[in-house]
Amino acid sequence: MKVIIHDLDSQYAGMMEAACDRVIAADGKYAPCQGCFGCWTKHPAECRMKDTLHQVCRIVGQADELVIVTKNLYGEYSANVKNVLDRAIGSSTPFSTYRGRQMHHTLRYGKHSLLKLIVWGDITEGEKATFRFRAERNALNDGFERAEVHFVKDLTELEALI
Amino acid sequence: MKTVFINCSPKKRFCASAYFLALQKLFVGGKKVTEKLRTPADHARILEQLRDAQAAVFGLPLYVDGIPSHVLRFLEEMETFCKQNGISLNLYVVANNGFIEGRQNEGLMQSFEHFCARAGLTWGGGVGIGGGVMLNVTRILFLVDVGLLLLNTLLSAVNTGNLFPKDAWISFGENAALLLYFNLGVLFYLARMGGAIRRRAFSGKKYTRILIPSFVFILFADIFFIIISLFEGGLFRGWLARKQPEK
Repeated sequence: MKVIIHDLDSQYAGMMEAACDRVIAADGKYAPCQGCFGCWTKHPAECRMKDTLHQVCRIVGQADELVIVTKNLYGEYSANVKNVLDRAIGSSTPFSTYRGRQMHHTLRYGKHSLLKLIVWGDITEGEKATFRFRAERNALNDGFERAEVHFVKDLTELEALI
Repeated sequence: MKTVFINCSPKKRFCASAYFLALQKLFVGGKKVTEKLRTPADHARILEQLRDAQAAVFGLPLYVDGIPSHVLRFLEEMETFCKQNGISLNLYVVANNGFIEGRQNEGLMQSFEHFCARAGLTWGGGVGIGGGVMLNVTRILFLVDVGLLLLNTLLSAVNTGNLFPKDAWISFGENAALLLYFNLGVLFYLARMGGAIRRRAFSGKKYTRILIPSFVFILFADIFFIIISLFEGGLFRGWLARKQPEK
């Protein structure tokens, strides 16, 4: 399954839907993660907060290819996109293992093939380097075989990349 | 000198970030103000505190290899506020993560450095702490040890009139020394960064962890989650199942 998470406005909705099996619009109309671990310990693979991200971990977890379209924010995802990712940690389990010689959680839905980040907005060379680093870290943490990062100056470049 | 300590944990109490900020405060002099950042309603109050501060220390957990989303929203607002008001404080970070390697906080540290560059602030550095949740448990265990010592002293006084039960004190000393050992790396690097905060100097990025072998840590972490999941019921609700979305 191919999943796209994006923080663009509704004019891009058609393009996104045509390019994948599931779209998660990071529109900010949801609560931030409360760090309660309930998606591991109380109601596995779902969040106690019953908004649009209630079961988002089940979608993200099953993405063989995950495309994230995000505005740059200090070499981080935009707050709206990061909110989605923070609420999706139930795609892993509470058990720990070693991956890449570091401690990580085991994967509820197994390994994935591709994590693709498409970053838009004003960005410095240092922030680009951090995004490349972040992509590798996220790929290792979430069990993706490989990661790609693309920086777009203009959103017209988007269609060819997703 | 005024330093604002910003506890960014979304949890209301018993959070690891509060513990590490409390330790950091031990090594910083001058006027110290502590603020809690949980919701957008906290933004204006914290920004006002920053207006006449010389240093700010963010204490926060690592979420998905980076900064939690509610903190990112604050940083966006803080960038605008600092530019509009010509604020030029030094910024330091105490980050902690549940995994044992403190180095996993590297991406978070880099983003704070980029934030400082954009907001016109001075990046002072940070300490990344691995095993944050378990270190936070050590402070609770220490309080339990103190309670047991007081109870044993009381029982000893009532039963024998002895106000200094030797065995109880030895047991307390052994436990306290062990808990202190687990925290030694954290104390060393927070003391070091405290010196830099006092001098408004650059401290660099340093990474440390709870001082136990990682395979022991993983074993304890797994046991911890099994026990919590048992009590909260998740163990019986498809704990490790590949659940499908309902809609």
